[in-house]
This record gives sequence, structure tokens and C-alpha cells, in this order.
Amino acid sequence: MDLNMKVLVVDDFATMRRIVKGVLKELGFKNVIEAENGKAALSELKKEEIGLVISDWNMPEMTGIDLLKAVRANDQYKELPFIMVTAEGQKNNVIEAVKAGVTNYIVKPFTPETLRQKLEAVFN
Amino acid sequence: MENPEQLGKYLESIALESVDLDAESISSMGKILNALSSIMSEFQDELPPAFLQLIKGLEGYVERLSLGEVQDPDPVKQATSCMQGLYRSLLRGEEIAQAEAAQVLQILGGSDKAKALSPQANEQAQERHGASQQRASDTLTANIRHHELSAEDIELLQDFVGEALDSLSTIEIGLIDLEQNPEDSEIINSIFRPFHTIKGVSGFLNLTKINRLSHISENLLDKARGGEIAIDGRITDVILESVDVLKQLIEAVQDGIETGNVLEGNINTDNVVNKIQDILDKSEEIGSKPLGEILVQSGVANPKDVDKALEAQKQEPNKKLGEVLIQEGSVKPQAVASALRAQKTFGVNRKAELQVKVDTRKLDTLVDMTGELVIAQSMLRQNHAIVSSSDQKLFQTLSQLNQITSTLQKAAMSMRMVPIKHTFQKMVRLVRDLAKGSGKEVTLSMSGEDTEIDRNVVDELYEPMVHMVRNAVDHGIESPDERIARGKPSQGTLELRAYHQSGNIVIEIRDDGKGLDKEGILEKAKEKGLIEQNPSLTDSEIYNLIFQPGFSTAKEITDISGRGVGMDVVKKSIEKLRGRVEIDSNPGKGCTFTIHLPLTLAIIDGMVVRVGKERYIIPTLSILESLKPNKEKYSSVHGRGELIKVRDSLIPLVRFETVFNTQTETKDPWEGLVVAVEHDGRQFCLLVDEVIGKEEVVIKNLGSSIMQVKGLAGGAILGDGRVALILDIGGITELASIAA
Repeated sequence: MDLNMKVLVVDDFATMRRIVKGVLKELGFKNVIEAENGKAALSELKKEEIGLVISDWNMPEMTGIDLLKAVRANDQYKELPFIMVTAEGQKNNVIEAVKAGVTNYIVKPFTPETLRQKLEAVFN
Repeated sequence: MENPEQLGKYLESIALESVDLDAESISSMGKILNALSSIMSEFQDELPPAFLQLIKGLEGYVERLSLGEVQDPDPVKQATSCMQGLYRSLLRGEEIAQAEAAQVLQILGGSDKAKALSPQANEQAQERHGASQQRASDTLTANIRHHELSAEDIELLQDFVGEALDSLSTIEIGLIDLEQNPEDSEIINSIFRPFHTIKGVSGFLNLTKINRLSHISENLLDKARGGEIAIDGRITDVILESVDVLKQLIEAVQDGIETGNVLEGNINTDNVVNKIQDILDKSEEIGSKPLGEILVQSGVANPKDVDKALEAQKQEPNKKLGEVLIQEGSVKPQAVASALRAQKTFGVNRKAELQVKVDTRKLDTLVDMTGELVIAQSMLRQNHAIVSSSDQKLFQTLSQLNQITSTLQKAAMSMRMVPIKHTFQKMVRLVRDLAKGSGKEVTLSMSGEDTEIDRNVVDELYEPMVHMVRNAVDHGIESPDERIARGKPSQGTLELRAYHQSGNIVIEIRDDGKGLDKEGILEKAKEKGLIEQNPSLTDSEIYNLIFQPGFSTAKEITDISGRGVGMDVVKKSIEKLRGRVEIDSNPGKGCTFTIHLPLTLAIIDGMVVRVGKERYIIPTLSILESLKPNKEKYSSVHGRGELIKVRDSLIPLVRFETVFNTQTETKDPWEGLVVAVEHDGRQFCLLVDEVIGKEEVVIKNLGSSIMQVKGLAGGAILGDGRVALILDIGGITELASIAA
């Protein structure tokens, strides 16, 4: 896992972004960028070279699943690792994300350990 | 097949993804799922049922794998190689290996259940089937293929045959019971269990036909048990049919044991399996709640579009409602998708919750007290000392208090709510008896039974609903002969629906009978002197005539309805609940009665008006409009009193001083404001000084001493802490002797 890669954390709640960011920092990631919804994330993707996206599902303006679809629709990002964060009990959301080409997903609430495991699964 | 190479490519891509598959290979799972759904959409009509079942089975398994419900990727590999085998057989035009497909299907479905259960349950399941059976079955499977049976195998099979035939007769008896008591979950269970046993054992014995049929019947019963499908004649019929076929199959096995050549024979099971699958598919489609309803409720579709789409769907029954709506551009695909999700979760979330019985009077007190709390709280907020305070902490605490009280109020209100299910269920028996008595065939379908409604409303609702259902069966739905002559199915349908719509509860009673007889109604109304000889009435005005007192159109009076105390009673009882009834009728196609009711009787939506120093609340439901008439609109006619011209009709003006002895500041209508109201077809105008605004208020009893005052429905405390009286428009019509 390249700890210098840029990780984009997408969530409309600043607190949630802070938590995920904290976990990522703990895991040794140095470059963490934030976006508060799908639209903002897309413009970050244009500006920076992102190595991993961790996105929440439910956001105003543009949801996580729409962001995922937009990302996968672009040939440049066909293989971009994308981890979706979904709420508990949203089985259909998970299936939809899987079909849309998500790399992995995390169910809220999650521990730093789960995130670490998922990251390992993604980068192995 | 038109394009076999394409199918080959899909299968290859699935095989490629499944090679390295493990529980975390989410993106591979996504690719497999997409390839499977491409196969489904492109080759559905060309593939044999065994292949399609395998695809569906694999799809389900991969979904569970991606959800982490199962961990083992091996079944995916097995299913993939099995599908490739089937594909090759298809290309060569060979008979496909049904047995292998069925076995793989078993693995795909089986490991799901085994893994989903807790380890103990898993062990128990193993025990139930018997360890010895498990061991024997492995050798047996091989032996059966070669039709050579050892003594041990024969014993096992004989046990199975005896047990299965016993179980089937238990099922038969249970089914007949079930027909009498379709809601009895104990009976459903007693049928479910033997099917489950037959399924389990036949699976081990590799009796694929028996296994498949018992499996799908079990699924159907499982849904019925979970309340997703209502048990009706159609379901019991198909299960009985399944029992008959199973009997034949088992008897064939028995014959086989005697000849030493075990086969399930050439008995065709596809027919009944397809029938069951059909019911299962439809139940998925309809779910617990129609899609259209969810869309309308969530405000993304308007009811007219949904109705139109439903019409269009009748022309093309293979299309799903969602597709039609998207095609017509009336709803966005995303909205349909999320509604479908809501639909799916709807059924899942219904679990039995722990309950406590509470006296309704206690609940009423709770609602009352929380109402008071809300008011006390708002008085506190407006208190001079607090308003002039600059303490930030205080305001924070106050807004917290505000939140808590409003949550509390909502919770208190919701406690009085009960599902409308019980009222609906009472109609089942009624419809049955009515249909039998009149020699008609009627199926009753219900939806939205879980819609909640105020307890006090439910009781009051029963009578009017009975009346409307009686009317629908007696006068709406035609006799079977008549229906066939009109090209309709001999069986009529009566539909009861309940749902929420913009803060109201809507209950629909829809039949597919002959609709209301417009000419008949007009004739009758003239005969009874309800209307003039040549009235120019709109359809809806004509239909509404049936709500007039003493109206009954039935040509012959049956023993149940048509006793002359017709729909006027219904309308009165609904209005007493502050609701309204609408009729929509389509000649030859059917008739729909729609009842709109407020969510609760404890709260009223009203317009607050000022009359002198007093405040009054006019229930919004009675208000036609409020206006500031100019001088020309006002006329005073000797013998008819004062009149205001509202939209071309002259409406009598009522002054508060004549009914309540309260003086308005403005004496001339063109100086003040006029609110036009209606009750029971009688209209009048009220002169007020000022309209203060709309408010939802908690109705308070006035207490025994002034409860008898005509024209007042109760009192309420307004947001600013002042007291206002709620007007009873019906009472005022009587006080002011307003004629219709």
C-alpha cells in the first residue's frame, strides 16, 4: 500500500470526514483530501491524482452511488479503487454498488480495524 | 439461439472472474452479477428453465456473497462450470443434464441457509436429517444413477416413501383447515413443516423432481407464513395440485423400489412448478405495497400518471409499472429505483414487536397532557422576561425543550394509532357471505393493511365500510353470467386499499363491476323530488346524489343492502370523523369510493379568525374560500336576509352577533372579510374582522357545562397561549336555519 497516495474522503458530514480521516492518518496515510458530496468529489478528481476514494452513500447534490457511476463511466477511472460506506441494513444499496463496480464497501458503524482490513483487501 | 457466441462470452467472463474469487473480491462479484443480468435480459426467452434457474440461483448466491452472508466462493465455481456444461450441451443440441443443474442449485440455495443459521442451528439441521442418512445418501446417489439398489438403500427409500405419504395427507387436511382460517399461522406452519421434511430428504436421496416441487411449494408457504402473500383459493388450489403431483411421484418411487429400478417416472412437474413460480414472481412484483402507491406517497409521481401507466400496462402485461412510468417520462428512473427499494424493505421490516396493553383513556390523557405541555412551552417562549433575556444558554435549553416536546407529542399521538388490518379483515368474511348469498363470485384483495389510523376512528369506520362493501358486492359486481356476457372474467374483484396522503388517511374501496347507473340515479332522484326535471349536472354531481337521504337505487332489495338507509348514513358517519367521501365511476368498468380521513381526531386543521376581541377557529375542511367582497356583491333581500355573491351564486351571510352574541368591529361586509363555508351541501358566509392564519390545534373538550352549546365543536389553546373556540359549521347551519 502506497501511503503517499492521495485518498479522497467524501461525506456530507464534517464529523464523519474527520473520523475517517483520523483513521486513515492512524494507518499512515499522509495525503487525505475531503469533499462534501459527489459533485465536489468529481471536481477534486479532476484537479488531483487520486489513488483511492472512500465515499458515503447518502449525500445531497450527488449521492455516493451516482458518484461511483460517474467515476466508472470515465475510462480513466475504470480501475480506481472505490470504497463505499453504507448504512446498516441497506442490502439493496450494497448490491447496487457492487453492480456499479465498487471495489469494496464498509457498513456503518465501523471500527478502524475494519477499514484497515478493507484497505488491505483492496490493495492486495 | 440467435447469438450463442455472445452467451459463451458472458459465461467465459464469469468463469474468469470466479477463478480467484474470495469473500473480498467485491469488484469480481460485481462483474459476475452484471454478466448474469446481461444473460437474463438477452437470453431469457431462449434458455431452458433449468439454465435460468441456475442463473437466478447463482445471482442470489453472489449477492449473498457480496453481502458477506456467505463466505464460501466454491459454489460459484461449481455453478459456473455447470453452466458452461449446459451451454455446451445446448450448442450440440443435446439433452441438458437436469440432475446436475438441480444439484448445483441445491448447493447454491443450501449453503446459504446453512451459513445463515447460527452454528447451533446448523448442527441441529444436520442432526435432523440424520448423520447416517447423510452418509448413506452419498453412496445411494451413485447407486440410484445406476439403478442398482442395496438392501440398505431400499430401506431408506421405503422409509421416505412411507413418511412422505403420511406427510402429504397431513398437508391435505391442513389445507382444508386453512381454507376456513386463512390467517391462522399455526395451520400454515403445520403444512410448511412436512413440505420442509420432504424437501430435505428428497434432496439427499437425489429425487430431483420431488425436491424441486417440494422446495418451491415450501417457498410459497414461507411467504404466506411471513404475511407477504395472502392465502386465498388460488394458493390452496395450487398447493393441493402440488400435493397430488408429489403423491404420483412418490408412488412412482414406490413402484421403482419393488422393481429395483428407482425413477420418479415421466410425471410432468413443470406445470405446477411454473404455476407456483408465477405466484411467487407476482408477489415480488407487488410486494407488500403497490409501486404506484409508494411513488404517489413519496410525492414523485402524480396519481393521474400512475393511473394512466396502469391502464397502459394492461395493454402490455409483460411490462413493469416502473418501466411504463419511465418511458412516459412521468417519473425519473432513480425515483422508481428508490421506490422499489422502499417496497422491498417494507416487507422485511415487519417484525412482531413486543406489546403492552394500555387503556385508551390513559393514552387520551397522555395526548391531552402533551398538548398542554406544547402550549405551556410556547407560552414560556413568549414570556416577557425570557424574550428580553440575553442569556444564550437559556435559549439553547429552550430550543432543546421545544424539540423534546414536539417529539413527545408525536410519540403520544402515534400510540393511539392501530393498523387498519383488523377492519379490513372483517370484510373478508362479509364479502364471502355476500357473494355466496347472491350467487356471485368475488375475490377480495387488500393492500396497505398496515396503514395506521387513530383507534377512535377505526371503530367509527367499521359501519360505513360494511355499507360500502355491501353495496359494491350487491349492486356493483354483476352476476357471473352477466360478467361473461360483458367479456369480463366471471369472478369480480373487490379491492380495499389504505394509504397515507398529505397528512390524511385514504381508504379506497374499488370494484370492477358495472359502475354507477347515471340514468338510474337521475330518474330516481327526480322521482324522489331531490332534483328538478331537467337539471344540468356534472357526472360527479349525479354520483353524489346517492348520498342524499332516502336514496336507494337497487331494483330489487336483497336481504342485506338496499334497505333505503343508503349512502347518506355513510356520508354522515364519515363527516362526523371530519372526513369526506368521493366517488369515481366508470360505466361497465367499476366504481371506486375514496374516503379521506384525518390522521387523528385529536388535532384539527383550522383557520384562526378574529371577531371583535374573540378568536374562533373554522375547520379548514369546511372552508370553501375567504374573500373581501366589494359593495356590489352584497345584497339584502327581504325574507332571505343578507346575501353575498360568491362565484355567481348567492350565499346567505351569517353574522356572529346573531349566533353567538359576539360583535364584529366591522359591520359592512366590504369593510371586513367573509369566509364562505359549507356543511352537508349547505353554504353560508361568515363575516369576520381578520383572518389570523392557519394553525393545527389540539381539540379540547369544553366540559360538561357548555358542551351542549350548539355551533361549537370545542376549544383550543393557540400557539400564543390564547384560547379560541372551534366552530361547528353543521351546528351553525341549524342555528341560522340555512336551507340547502
